[in-house]
Amino acid sequence: MEQLLQHLERFSEVLAVSRTTHVSTWDPATVRRALQWARYLRHVHKRFGRHACISKALERRLQNQWKQQGDSGPAPAPGLANFQALGHCDQLLSLRLLANTALGDASFHYLLQQLFPGPGVPDAEEEWLQGSLARLARRRAAIHMLRFNAYGENPVLQEDSLMKTQAELLLRRLQEVGEAEAGGPGRLLSSLWERSPQNNFLKVVATALLLPPSSPRHQEEELELGSPKTTGEEGQKLLRWLLGKSDVMVAFCRSLPAGLLTSVAGRHPELSRVYLGLLTDWGRQLHYNLQKGLWIGTESQDVPWEELLSRFQSLCQAPPPLKDEVFTALKSCKAQDGDFEVPGLSIWTDLLLSLGSSA
Amino acid sequence: MAQDSVGLPSDFQFWMRKLSVWDLASTLETQQDTCRHLPRFQEFLRQLYEALKEMDSNAIIERFPTVGQLLAKTCRNPLILAYDESQKILIWCLCCLIKKDPQNSGESKFNSWTRGLLSHILSTFRFDIKEVDLFTQVLGYAPTDYYPGLLKNMVLSLVSELRENHLNGFNTQRRMAPERVRSLSRVCVPLVTLPDFEPLVEALLTYHGHEPQEVLWPEFCDAVNEAFLLKKISLPTSAILCLWLRHLPSLENTMLHLFEKLISSERNFLRRIECFMKDSSLPAAACHPAIFRVVDEMFRYALLETDGALEVLAAIQVFTRCFVEALEKEDKQRCQENQRGKESFQQTALKQVDIQLKFAFKTYFPYASPSLVMVLLQHPKDIPQGLWHQALKHISEMLKEVVEDQTHGSYGGPFESWFLFVHFGGWADMVAEQLMTSEAEAEAPEALLWLLAFSCSPGAGHQQRAQTMVEVKAVLSCLMKLLRSPTLSARDLQAAAGEGGEGAPRPPACQQLIRRLLLNFLLWAPGGHAIAQEVITLMAQTDAIMHEIIGFLDQTLYRWDHLCVEAPRSRKLARELLAELRGQA
Repeated sequence: MEQLLQHLERFSEVLAVSRTTHVSTWDPATVRRALQWARYLRHVHKRFGRHACISKALERRLQNQWKQQGDSGPAPAPGLANFQALGHCDQLLSLRLLANTALGDASFHYLLQQLFPGPGVPDAEEEWLQGSLARLARRRAAIHMLRFNAYGENPVLQEDSLMKTQAELLLRRLQEVGEAEAGGPGRLLSSLWERSPQNNFLKVVATALLLPPSSPRHQEEELELGSPKTTGEEGQKLLRWLLGKSDVMVAFCRSLPAGLLTSVAGRHPELSRVYLGLLTDWGRQLHYNLQKGLWIGTESQDVPWEELLSRFQSLCQAPPPLKDEVFTALKSCKAQDGDFEVPGLSIWTDLLLSLGSSA
Repeated sequence: MAQDSVGLPSDFQFWMRKLSVWDLASTLETQQDTCRHLPRFQEFLRQLYEALKEMDSNAIIERFPTVGQLLAKTCRNPLILAYDESQKILIWCLCCLIKKDPQNSGESKFNSWTRGLLSHILSTFRFDIKEVDLFTQVLGYAPTDYYPGLLKNMVLSLVSELRENHLNGFNTQRRMAPERVRSLSRVCVPLVTLPDFEPLVEALLTYHGHEPQEVLWPEFCDAVNEAFLLKKISLPTSAILCLWLRHLPSLENTMLHLFEKLISSERNFLRRIECFMKDSSLPAAACHPAIFRVVDEMFRYALLETDGALEVLAAIQVFTRCFVEALEKEDKQRCQENQRGKESFQQTALKQVDIQLKFAFKTYFPYASPSLVMVLLQHPKDIPQGLWHQALKHISEMLKEVVEDQTHGSYGGPFESWFLFVHFGGWADMVAEQLMTSEAEAEAPEALLWLLAFSCSPGAGHQQRAQTMVEVKAVLSCLMKLLRSPTLSARDLQAAAGEGGEGAPRPPACQQLIRRLLLNFLLWAPGGHAIAQEVITLMAQTDAIMHEIIGFLDQTLYRWDHLCVEAPRSRKLARELLAELRGQA
């Protein structure tokens, strides 16, 4: 067992190196060994995939490796990310080597001979690899075709395929990191917030919070990171992180479209409370300008009346209990202000008046 | 191999021109043109690969100086890369161009250029959305990690848009424009055999918009049908039904495929024909009267063109059997679902195409009297064996009435009646057997004789038929006498059949009939097995007759299996004879 674990570690290193210029030192024999190791490990995965204790041990060893990579946040997974990656590690290695311009001509030539032996191959293993790489190319072309001929961005953001895929990836990574150590997901998310485009990140988080809870799936043989094996726990971790970070929460509630936020609030009551709280805070910042007959803010970052209204409108179209919660909150704010019926005195009155016509 | 590469240079020029045109602009016309040429281009790539792999790189450059250009243009064409195995063969071709040890900077450059092409096909596809790329990079995933999942999501999203369109007909916001559906069907042409696309293909086939014209591109329907015939895609019957209803050539192609099988490999192998028939979804789809009528029409045509070939007759009988089975199953299912009160989406789709209920047989057999159809549809299995005789008499009387009575002209004449009758092999093939095996009467009953004469030559006039009946009766009475005889010889049989006798030779249909009686005799007579070989050898004077005998044995065994006829000795004999003859033929 220890030997197997060592093989795993060493292969993970090999995989990491395969992306670097270090491969310029690899001769055909090295390439052959690397491919053989990959094939061997794929067999290991096939054989022991169902044995929970073995797969867990292997997984732990890989995660340990990750931790040693340093605390700069999520390493860009140079080596094997998790046990499941073993299932297609030969494909992974092959793709990296094929794309690596540093690999010498002779070694590259050898690699091609191994990967693409041609038609009528007696060896089932080689045929599998050849077929799976061809299938990858085919799928790539398929996406291209769909993208440029039939793809329309779905106005309902949480159903947009790109968004969904990103959300699935996020949850998957959260699960992998979470299995390594407890604080992992939180650190990952904070790092993502800092390093990736924020608007996109927020949309992805919202989509992830709206993904249907998936049932545990059987292991896929192919290189597929479709619906992950997450059980909804990751969604919870994500939510907790979001609720714990006030700056992210504020940006979340401000920049995302009203409809999307309503859906998320509908699904997660803890979030709806915070959202309502923020909305009421923002509402309090506005004051009534008699001349213009409008509610306006003093600071540039104040949320304008129209936006506030549209968010409340969207919330009031949600199914109960959210809808009822919102009305209760608004009415209680109105009561606190003095329960006026005349417009212009309390923003809550005005909001309710505007909503009342459409409620 | 040599003659392939002779044609190669001119093909090369042809495809180079084509690719250049397709490369220039991706318009509707170029897309359509590309799709039409996909299979031929793949074949060309295969030939090119076969040529390239035999040559070293210098020879390649000499022989095909522009091969790099051709392959590069191919790499840029996603329609080609999406089709079947083209991407694999293209990769093989590129591999042939890579040099193990480039000698100079020129060769080195060429190598890296080729490597770039390979890389391009296999690796990253940029979605042109920087934020997405950045995000996934920070997460630590390469594009190759996630785009199978992305493809799945895109397909699902399109499927739900198509279905939404269908169910919420009045929700104009989510409506997919007909032009978009059409272009989607065009895009799918090379991709119908990719398993990820099955849900999308199904959604397109079952899509019903509100436009009067067909939105689906016809080449798409062709491609789906081909893939289905070759078992490269699996679709539910409801989707295939929609395909055939929308695109008649697909149905016709499926039938042609069936006929090819009938005359070639599966000739006289009814069990296999049945398997193929069921696999093809023809019987299940035929529960829809429009499909049934088209299929029936093609069978009728085939029968007429081949002058009543026995193979076609057998196929009609297999089809009808499977069809009746499918009809019964569907009826049962509908009753169950009605009881449960649920309606699946499939049910809704089927309802949309307006399936008739079981009692409206007129839609399937418009030229037949309903009472006759009802009788014929009865499965012999549902009637006690002793009463089969009665049933046949009844059928005979009804048919006789239709055929010989002038006032019933509305039922299409003798051919239509005959065509209807031969659908039901359970009854049609039983007549000769019944005549041979029934002990009840001393003399052969007129009704059965009439039926026999009618089924072998429907077009014969009253006079001719009467003549045939007389002859058959004579032969039968001889045979019945021989039936109990302990010692039989082939000569006896020959005499009974009246071979080599005086008088005018019998018409071929009548000869066929007599042969059938003799074969039945061999199977049922206690002394039959001893002389079977000899008799058959005497009978089988031509290849055609040999095939006829093989067909008869195959059909008989097939019928006995389905009727659960217990006749161990006859079965054994039939099986042995069949094996023997098949080996010879």
